[in-house]
Amino acid sequence: MGHLRRPRAGAPRLGRGRPLTAPAAAGPLVRLLGDKLGDATSELWTDEDTVEVQVPGDKIVDTLRTLRDDPDFGFFFLADAAAVDYGVGERFEVVYHLYSDKHPTWLRVRVPVDRENPLTPTVTGLWEGAMFHEREMYDMMGIVFEGNRDLRRIYMSPDYRSFPQRKDFLLPDDAADSPAAGNMPLERPETWDLTRLQDAAAHRDEPGGPV
Amino acid sequence: MTTTRKRPGAEKAPAKPTPKRASTRRKAAPADDEPRIRDPLELEAALEAAPGDESLRPETTRPEFYGFDIVPPPDRPPQTEREREVYTLGDGEMLVNMGPQHPSTHGVMRLVLKVRGEVVIDLDPVLGYLHRGIEKLCENATYTTVLTYVDPMDYMSAMHNEHAPALAFEKLYGIKAPRRAEYIRALVVELNRVFSHGLMMGFLALDLGGLTPILYGFINRDQVVDLLSSISGQRMLFNFFRVGGVNFDVNDEFLSRLGKWRAGVLDTIEMNEKILTENEIFGARTKGLGVLTAKDAISLGVTGPNLRASGVPFDVRKAHPYPPYPELEFDVITQQGGDTYARYMQRVAELKQSIHLIDQIVDRMPHGPVQAQVPGIIRPKPGRAYAAIESPRGLYSVYAISDGGPNPYRFRMRDPSFITLQVMPKLMPGHLIADTMAVMASLDPIMGGVDK
Amino acid sequence: MDQGLIDLLLGVGRFVLATTFLLLLTVPTAFIVGQMELKIMAQMQLRYGPNRVGPWGMFQSAVHGFKMLAKEDQTPDRADVPTFTLAPYMVFMAAAMSMLVIPFAPGIVAIDSEIGVIYFFAVIGLSVVGMLLAGWASYNKYSLLGGLRSAAQMVSYEIPLTLSIVGLVVLTGSLSFTHIVEWQLEHGWAVIWQIIGFPIFFIAAAAEINRTPFDMVEADSEIVAGPFTEYSGMRFGFFYFAEYVALFIMCAIMVTLFFGGWLAPWPFPAQLEGFAGTVYGLFWFFLKTYLFVIVAVWVRATLPRVRVDQLMGASWKVLLPLALVNLFVTAIVVLALNL
Repeated sequence: MGHLRRPRAGAPRLGRGRPLTAPAAAGPLVRLLGDKLGDATSELWTDEDTVEVQVPGDKIVDTLRTLRDDPDFGFFFLADAAAVDYGVGERFEVVYHLYSDKHPTWLRVRVPVDRENPLTPTVTGLWEGAMFHEREMYDMMGIVFEGNRDLRRIYMSPDYRSFPQRKDFLLPDDAADSPAAGNMPLERPETWDLTRLQDAAAHRDEPGGPV
Repeated sequence: MTTTRKRPGAEKAPAKPTPKRASTRRKAAPADDEPRIRDPLELEAALEAAPGDESLRPETTRPEFYGFDIVPPPDRPPQTEREREVYTLGDGEMLVNMGPQHPSTHGVMRLVLKVRGEVVIDLDPVLGYLHRGIEKLCENATYTTVLTYVDPMDYMSAMHNEHAPALAFEKLYGIKAPRRAEYIRALVVELNRVFSHGLMMGFLALDLGGLTPILYGFINRDQVVDLLSSISGQRMLFNFFRVGGVNFDVNDEFLSRLGKWRAGVLDTIEMNEKILTENEIFGARTKGLGVLTAKDAISLGVTGPNLRASGVPFDVRKAHPYPPYPELEFDVITQQGGDTYARYMQRVAELKQSIHLIDQIVDRMPHGPVQAQVPGIIRPKPGRAYAAIESPRGLYSVYAISDGGPNPYRFRMRDPSFITLQVMPKLMPGHLIADTMAVMASLDPIMGGVDK
Repeated sequence: MDQGLIDLLLGVGRFVLATTFLLLLTVPTAFIVGQMELKIMAQMQLRYGPNRVGPWGMFQSAVHGFKMLAKEDQTPDRADVPTFTLAPYMVFMAAAMSMLVIPFAPGIVAIDSEIGVIYFFAVIGLSVVGMLLAGWASYNKYSLLGGLRSAAQMVSYEIPLTLSIVGLVVLTGSLSFTHIVEWQLEHGWAVIWQIIGFPIFFIAAAAEINRTPFDMVEADSEIVAGPFTEYSGMRFGFFYFAEYVALFIMCAIMVTLFFGGWLAPWPFPAQLEGFAGTVYGLFWFFLKTYLFVIVAVWVRATLPRVRVDQLMGASWKVLLPLALVNLFVTAIVVLALNL
């Protein structure tokens, strides 16, 4: 476990700029990745049960399709799709975990996403089950998946305008910490709108009924 | 002494990176004579007196501002293609809301059904009523505290909720739990699986109208929960796992209750099975209903008993074994057919398999400590870890990123019920409203896990 | 005074007395049947059931009834108020009116009608109208679905219900309940004669009164409470009573038609004379009826619900042909044996 014995120097980083340690079990997979997807992947890293690669956003769909359909890879199952925020001013990342019958390790595919323009292609064409994952990533992190047929909010209400899992998300309680303290309507109770009661009553007579 | 981690040099961990702060200058509070909040009744009266007078509405209530606006009635235009598909009504169709308050959805969930008479044409699940922001909350909690926060996610299988984070944090920290701890973990996890599947039988029957099996399921659950409370101190949200092991060792009360429970469990389960498995009405309502093909299931990300009932032998305990399962003997059970009845039979079979596993675990439990020596607040090195386990609902996994500080930088849980719900819009069209409940119950989602 | 006028007044007086007494009887009956359901179902589910209110929880059901009185009667905003208000009373009156022709003991019957059977099945069908009105007037999609389900279900089960006893009518040659019981005094209980007719009647009766396994009208796991969703307070109380009273009535009719009414089973003398005979008859009648109520509760505790389309299919494709077969066989037997 080379990454754990390395002494920490300088600012803490989340990346791992250290040499590759390839456990024997992951060897075939690492070789295959190098052979077939060498130009798409970068920053290969392995652990005793995970192999991790980074793939740029424009190549991710093709890479995942190769990983899924190629009989040597055989990563037929998308176990998880997660989004990570590396901090204010840093990138986002979409992380896919894949499972294959033919390789004993998980494959983790990391896709960097620009923070100012958080667009990335959707994988719902490859796995329909990615739909809810992507909706959640959009809802919580604000990453927009191009090509997704149903990119709406899934946890928060449809009109919610903020992205809770970002590192610069602030609740009204934290107004004092905000660089824009007191400016946002969320932090000024006099701007809270209570007319929705009126709106509900106004929409009462429309066809369809109250239910 | 089992694995202890001493850091080379024992350096203090630097503080975790904080977002750039501008000055914390606060904007001046509004003057005292300005109204801060208008009395809602007064506002309502004023709006009623002058309808259409837009100046009465505060400027910031227009959509381009942040706000607490609640979902307006469905008259707003649809935002996405799929939404347009579901909410556009054809001839003779109507939208029925199986709303958040409903005797039968497995927690608070809203299913918007587009029906023509009794036949469901399309379905849209609306989630988020139980969203508690656990992932974000855990970013401010120490690693041990995180294990207490994740319990109420999938509250019917709380031990599984703790198992995956414990494994992920151990990978981050670089330790392994002692062997006895692994066996105890497997024991409580299988006990949890037993009562979760037993209750699923009851939920399925209850949704179909049979009032008795759920009460028989609760007999079993009460016994197991008393058992688990004697080892962990809690009846439902157990807080039993720690990074590096479990909190308590088995004690005499636990063992005596375990023996008594084990002697009677197969009879209790059989009592339940007799009412359901060969019941003509139950069979007529569940056989051939909601058939999920293997290909669809894999594409949709369904795992667990739902996937195995469609014939795919994917079990995380065999696919990516975590200790102690490599040392235990069990097979991956599958059913053919993928209908509701198959999912029910799959869970019954897995229940019995879990009892068999419990027998093996109790036979083979090694001696030793039950918790590795870890400091109270652990500070793993920066890294990423992914751990997946088999929960009663499917593949439950945790992806954790550490930045060297006492709190996880990113804590992501992948809940199986969340992904399984995507199956509903695929399976339901063409069936009746009454079948919606049957299919839902057979998929066995738990809303706590769905909404995190 | 004219003898005819006195007879008329006496008749009217007797009718009013009997009807009042029966209406008053419905409420304790509903309480008792409700209590039996709570306790017996609980015992079958290995739990205690209510055991706090009164000794062994005896008064729980009565307290439920009074609770209904105490609750607020809400009307939904856009409901059709006259219809909404009328619906529970229609359902209740259908049940109450049908009690008028049931013979509880020799001589104890409110209206000893010659066409009691026809009257009974006609009136019990009125409850469909009430449920349909309730479903429509509530301005609620769930209620509408429930009301339509109930209409479909009850209408389709009326036919096997009535056909199953036409065989009995042919056998006994009478449409009067009292005559049917007297026929059973001579020929033995009708269940032996109508061995196919009785199960059909049992199933159709359970469907008619929306009893599990045929209770998708009020399937509370699917459409909340069906047509009764928007009702609260005493209006819901009327639906609630009506359901239990209807259960009692159907069991009573089953006993009257097939199991000898007030007659005692074999080792005991079938009937006695005079006042003692009345008491004796009442005892056996109520015993048998409540035994059937227990069977109905038993079925409810055990079986899951049948789905709407399977229900209709069972009615039209299975019960109706069976009832017709029963009728033909009975007719042939009657002709052959010259009964």
